[in-house]
Amino acid sequence: MANIKRANTSGVTKSGVAIADVPDAPTIGSATAVDATSATVTYTAATTGGTGTTFTATSTPGSLTGTGSSPITVGGLSGLTSYTFTVRASNSTGNSPFSSASNSITTPSPISFDSIATVAVGSGGSSTVTFSSIPSTYKHLQLRYIARATWQYGDSLVVRFNGDTTNGNYPYTHYLTGNGSAAGSASDNSSPQPQIGYLMPGNGTYSTSGMFSTGVIDILDYKSTNKNKVMKNFMGSDNNYTGSAGLPSGTVSTVWLNTAAVSTITITAANSNLAQYSHFALYGIKG
Amino acid sequence: MAAGNTYTPIATTTLSSATSSYVFTSIPTTYTDLVLVATLVPGATNFDFQVGNGSIDTNTNYSSSRLYGNGTSAGSDRQLNNATGVLGNVTNPTTVPIHVITQFNNYSNTTTHKPAISRYNVSDNYTFSISGLWRSTSAINRIQIYSTSGQNIPSGCTFTLYGIQAA
Repeated sequence: MANIKRANTSGVTKSGVAIADVPDAPTIGSATAVDATSATVTYTAATTGGTGTTFTATSTPGSLTGTGSSPITVGGLSGLTSYTFTVRASNSTGNSPFSSASNSITTPSPISFDSIATVAVGSGGSSTVTFSSIPSTYKHLQLRYIARATWQYGDSLVVRFNGDTTNGNYPYTHYLTGNGSAAGSASDNSSPQPQIGYLMPGNGTYSTSGMFSTGVIDILDYKSTNKNKVMKNFMGSDNNYTGSAGLPSGTVSTVWLNTAAVSTITITAANSNLAQYSHFALYGIKG
Repeated sequence: MAAGNTYTPIATTTLSSATSSYVFTSIPTTYTDLVLVATLVPGATNFDFQVGNGSIDTNTNYSSSRLYGNGTSAGSDRQLNNATGVLGNVTNPTTVPIHVITQFNNYSNTTTHKPAISRYNVSDNYTFSISGLWRSTSAINRIQIYSTSGQNIPSGCTFTLYGIQAA
């Protein structure tokens, strides 16, 4: 070892006061990415030289550090970045040389798509599906579903925020749709119900057994407190309808005229209930 | 609440040579939704998909409704009782690839027929959204992509399948 030691070979200064040897360099183990901003680094302390009391892992690039016993966690990393790490020991006398560099790791993307909750409608259907106590730890929300109505004529999907049923608080809903024969655009500026999609009919005259509408509803910047909340649905309701045009598919957007953070989402059918096997999953997007 | 990212890649490929079809097999049923992201390069025109459980369903159990616009007008059409579902159409094959994102929500349930929705742009031509349906209550565990215009899928096409797992 090429350590420079402040003590002599016996670890005793000329004045007779014992001074610990400087530790020798640890042996590097492996580095592992934990998430977008942290990694762990393992090492083995040297069995020669002085006893290390503190072990520090340092990243390259960035010179970000973490201390502790193996494995050491190094935080503050950036997502989608490659890092190697070295470890060195220190004690009251000084620092050891750095270990050799670890294996290279690449941190994952800082964007995360996390599941918040899921509701599957049971036998007999349900008048309401509610996601409450939505965490405010995300940037955006996405609601993914397959659903149908209990009404034999089909129905509209209604989504409200924070239990707000006030007439006029969802004043601008716009549709761009195609029904297999023609494309069109419409608006609904008066309904108190934000009808953000269509629902396949339930059992009855226009029953389409086993067929469900589907959609992906984005609710962007849901926790902001300085802007009204917009949601948009990319939806489909193809049912192989051989008669006149089936339910339209396409996109819908609406706005909730309220700057409050969204903490509750309530889903209903406009004129009936949500049928059994309807399935709603709410996700939070970080990034 | 599930911890961590639940939107994960299942498989991906970039074709190194033209092929008659590409199949994602043994798709786990542990996810809630599937998302198929395809980059289709010129060389073929009509790209379709078929799905199945154990084997690909080649019967006339597919239908698709399209909504499209080209900057001047919008329209809609549909295919009923078809043997394939529409993935994307390179309607004006040039050097411009198209990117298709298709969502198969709740693909592994064994109670409902399987809806799908997708969007893609033909950048020099049209923008499309498609609502599709596979009339089967079987879980989807394989997806096949091929061209129905009598051509191979060109080299350079990229297909990535993601799974999204709900809590």
